Amino acid sequence: MINWNGKRRWIALLLLIAGFVVMLTVPPIIPVIQLPGEKYPGGGDGFRMTNSLMGSVVVWILLILLAWYVNRSMPKSGDEVPRGGFYNFFELIFEGAYNFIHNIVGEKYIRYIFSFFMTILLIVLLSNWLELIPGVDSIGFLEPHTTVNVQTGQVTYEKGYETTNSGGVFALNPKCPWVSPDQAATLTDAQKTARVNNGCQTGTGAVVAASTTDGEPAAGSPSVPWVVLPFLRSPSTDLNTTASLALIAVIMTQVLGFKALGIRYLTKFFNFKTLLTSPLGGIDVAVGLLELIGEFAKILSFSFRLLGNIFAGSILLFVMSFLVPFLPWPFFILEFFVGIIQALVFGLLTAIFMSQATAGHGEHHDEGHEVEQITADNPVEIAPAH
Amino acid sequence: MEQSVLLAGKAIGAGLAMIGAMGGGIGIGLSVQGAVQAMGRNPDFASTIQTNMILGVAFAEAVAIYALVVSLIILFVL
Repeated sequence: MINWNGKRRWIALLLLIAGFVVMLTVPPIIPVIQLPGEKYPGGGDGFRMTNSLMGSVVVWILLILLAWYVNRSMPKSGDEVPRGGFYNFFELIFEGAYNFIHNIVGEKYIRYIFSFFMTILLIVLLSNWLELIPGVDSIGFLEPHTTVNVQTGQVTYEKGYETTNSGGVFALNPKCPWVSPDQAATLTDAQKTARVNNGCQTGTGAVVAASTTDGEPAAGSPSVPWVVLPFLRSPSTDLNTTASLALIAVIMTQVLGFKALGIRYLTKFFNFKTLLTSPLGGIDVAVGLLELIGEFAKILSFSFRLLGNIFAGSILLFVMSFLVPFLPWPFFILEFFVGIIQALVFGLLTAIFMSQATAGHGEHHDEGHEVEQITADNPVEIAPAH
Repeated sequence: MEQSVLLAGKAIGAGLAMIGAMGGGIGIGLSVQGAVQAMGRNPDFASTIQTNMILGVAFAEAVAIYALVVSLIILFVL
């Protein structure tokens, strides 16, 4: 075991210097920004894997490994809990979250609500942090950046870059934006010599192989512009992931409401009780209908809040890595905290909506004044709901 | 030429859409102001106040995020 004390600072300094060198030799490129998840190349019209779905798969695998590891290192009942280590850390977080939710929802439905809260929290947290890993948005398939007009079959070339090839590994050449033969004719001689000095193949005055519309161009061929289609993307930047999480949260809120109150739960939305007895009964009916619309608005606001925050965050990271290539890390710290806050907000709102749904109309649940703290003398078992 | 006009229109539209973020900013500022004052008056209820503040901030932020999503769609999807 190496003693790392006092050596980490030199590693940080080395990484800073390495970042500076990389910035000077390979300037970063702003990637092609797409809102829907990009489909992997190949395959037909049927189901095709997208890179955000692959990000989800990575998150699931990480969660399963986490659960397996924590379960394995859990001491048998009666044994002493070992000091330090990952298991203790995880228990600390779980107890903190349990007490936090206990203060909000009270004793009765804590088992159901806490399991939803913690599941959503962990999934969203890992999804959000996936965008911080270097290489997640920048390593991928090499794709020609062309759009094909469906009706006329005409191929248009979009913005892209030339490639460099080192031992079968292709990289985009940031000094050489791709230039079409038509554009190349309009370049001045000075521009052409500059491109030759940078090692570009297109736009230098030399004849380049004609662009072919039939068949796939060879990998790295200078006849088409190239872009990178990343292998992985943070699942939270895809509306499909966030909308499905929002649907689960809102639908399970209704299920818990029916479980707690039975058919009485519907009187929250269709409140005709006071229509004939009270002069203001009509207002109650209108408020109930507004609550019904509010349930659908919850789905929208849940999904767009997470999508907007994390997608904007990943664009911020792209743009800042492009503008200040040697100093993007303050923004990584910012996105680290935004990830925590958004995961907490998603889980907390789910827990609060669920506790409102189970509380019933008119009757107030206790606000958690008699919360018993989890201590060593008074352990509260977190049992799975069944 | 046509492409440039299209791009200019997209940029102007996205910029106009983000005016909506102003309301979210004002709302978040007001709610945090109120929460911090309340916490200063009675620190015992800080955790309850904080929970409600995060809830209110999330609702206020949602409106700004709608504006952000609209401008992102204008820029990258349309």
